[in-house]
Amino acid sequence: MSLTLYHGEPNGPSLTVLAALFAKQLRADLRYLDLARGERHTLDCAHEPLVAMSIEGEGPVLVADGEAMSDSVFIACYLDDVGQGAALRPAVPYDRWETMKWCRQMIERTAPAAAYLGCHAHPPQVDAALLARIGSMDLRARWEEIAAGQFSAEKLEDSRTKIAQAAERIETRLAGREWLMGAYSIADLESYAWLAGMVPLVPEAFPERTRTRDWLSRVQASAPVAKALSLARTADPAAVWSVGPEINRWG
Amino acid sequence: MHSVTLYHWEPNANSGKPMLALMEKGVAFNSHYLDLLKFDQHRPEYLAINPQGTIPAMVHGDRVLTESTAMMEYVEEAFPGPRLMPEDPRDRWRVRWWMKFMDQWLGPSFSMIGWSVFVGPAVRARDPAELKAAIERIPLPERRVAWTKAISGNFGAEEMAESRRRVALGIRMLEDALARRPWLASDEFSLADINGFNLAYALPLAQPALSNDDLTPNILRWLRTIYARPATRACWAMGRTSMVERVKILEQPRIAAGQLA
Repeated sequence: MSLTLYHGEPNGPSLTVLAALFAKQLRADLRYLDLARGERHTLDCAHEPLVAMSIEGEGPVLVADGEAMSDSVFIACYLDDVGQGAALRPAVPYDRWETMKWCRQMIERTAPAAAYLGCHAHPPQVDAALLARIGSMDLRARWEEIAAGQFSAEKLEDSRTKIAQAAERIETRLAGREWLMGAYSIADLESYAWLAGMVPLVPEAFPERTRTRDWLSRVQASAPVAKALSLARTADPAAVWSVGPEINRWG
Repeated sequence: MHSVTLYHWEPNANSGKPMLALMEKGVAFNSHYLDLLKFDQHRPEYLAINPQGTIPAMVHGDRVLTESTAMMEYVEEAFPGPRLMPEDPRDRWRVRWWMKFMDQWLGPSFSMIGWSVFVGPAVRARDPAELKAAIERIPLPERRVAWTKAISGNFGAEEMAESRRRVALGIRMLEDALARRPWLASDEFSLADINGFNLAYALPLAQPALSNDDLTPNILRWLRTIYARPATRACWAMGRTSMVERVKILEQPRIAAGQLA
């Protein structure tokens, strides 16, 4: 099996996939991309439909035996299937359902909010020549808005609410648990990856001496995440953001 | 074995996904029909089961499951019967990729158009005070916005144009994928096809200028093949509205460009 992982700073979707790769004891050719400059769009495989039209925004790309794969949670599921060591999803169907449902909420509600707030606080600087190479019109439109500094006060406020709601869900979920699904799982990776950078941006959502703060520390210290974070090229990878998923167009 | 009860609307979109998955697996279930157009999903007796008021919900034994796509994966894993997820991990990745793409990008555009031409007009004639009360009972704020827009017909020209752009692009993507493989995500029938059929079963009727045997022969082959499956026939027979009768367009052996336009 040949794996090449194109990834950005260990934050957001890149962090999820890097940590899953390390947790599953897999070896991959790691290629660093500056996702905040839109460098993913320099890749030939960026134009393949299931990469170009990924709705995750500027996430990592795993090339597995020649097939380019996008969407961090599903790449992590793939790595969980093909790798070694402890499973990153529970074995019992109901618990697996909870994991996938949890990740769906992260993907659909939390990730767009986190990326929006992250880009507002730490604007990515797209290379203008790369904008024209972006295959998805709606992704390009999000890039153009962010490059122009166009952030809606309403969306910023709604995003802060969604981060607070995610933190509340985590706080509730962690009652009597060390990890979100009982054992260390993709849900921990994906939730941490989007929320670690939100602590300084939405501090009221993360009070001190809560289960959520303890869990954030535990995930950060876990071997796969620590190894992913060691690949950072900046002092604070949680402050490096690129364009994320779209905020729901309606309902 | 614990009993299964499915709370659902029509075999269409999210409701139809677990309905068809259960029927493909051969799992008997108690069908509890909720009339979306009468806001059954926001009544206290249903909110006691699913406080978010979204459809569908499945009760298996004493457990309640929501989120139709995750629910389909549960159906696949919890019950015996024909396999609905491929064995190959890369194929499974593709199944999930397509389901997310349809659930979160293509589906909302289809449904924005569908709600503007079907759901909105179907409920708009009701007593305004009754509608207002019904909207106020909706637990999720996003769904309150969606229902308000659907009822008032208040979709902006720009957002409708964007939905039409996405539908046209999505149709091309489906056609290209189905030109490469017999099924959407792999060489075998899977949850991605169940998801896709629920989204696209009426495509040649709803989008005749974009999908027909001349322009999208692979989509038409795919839809007709799924429609011919016994589980699909049984599932769509559970429909009660004219909306799901649109599936009968697939009984036509050929739909030429311009025939339905």
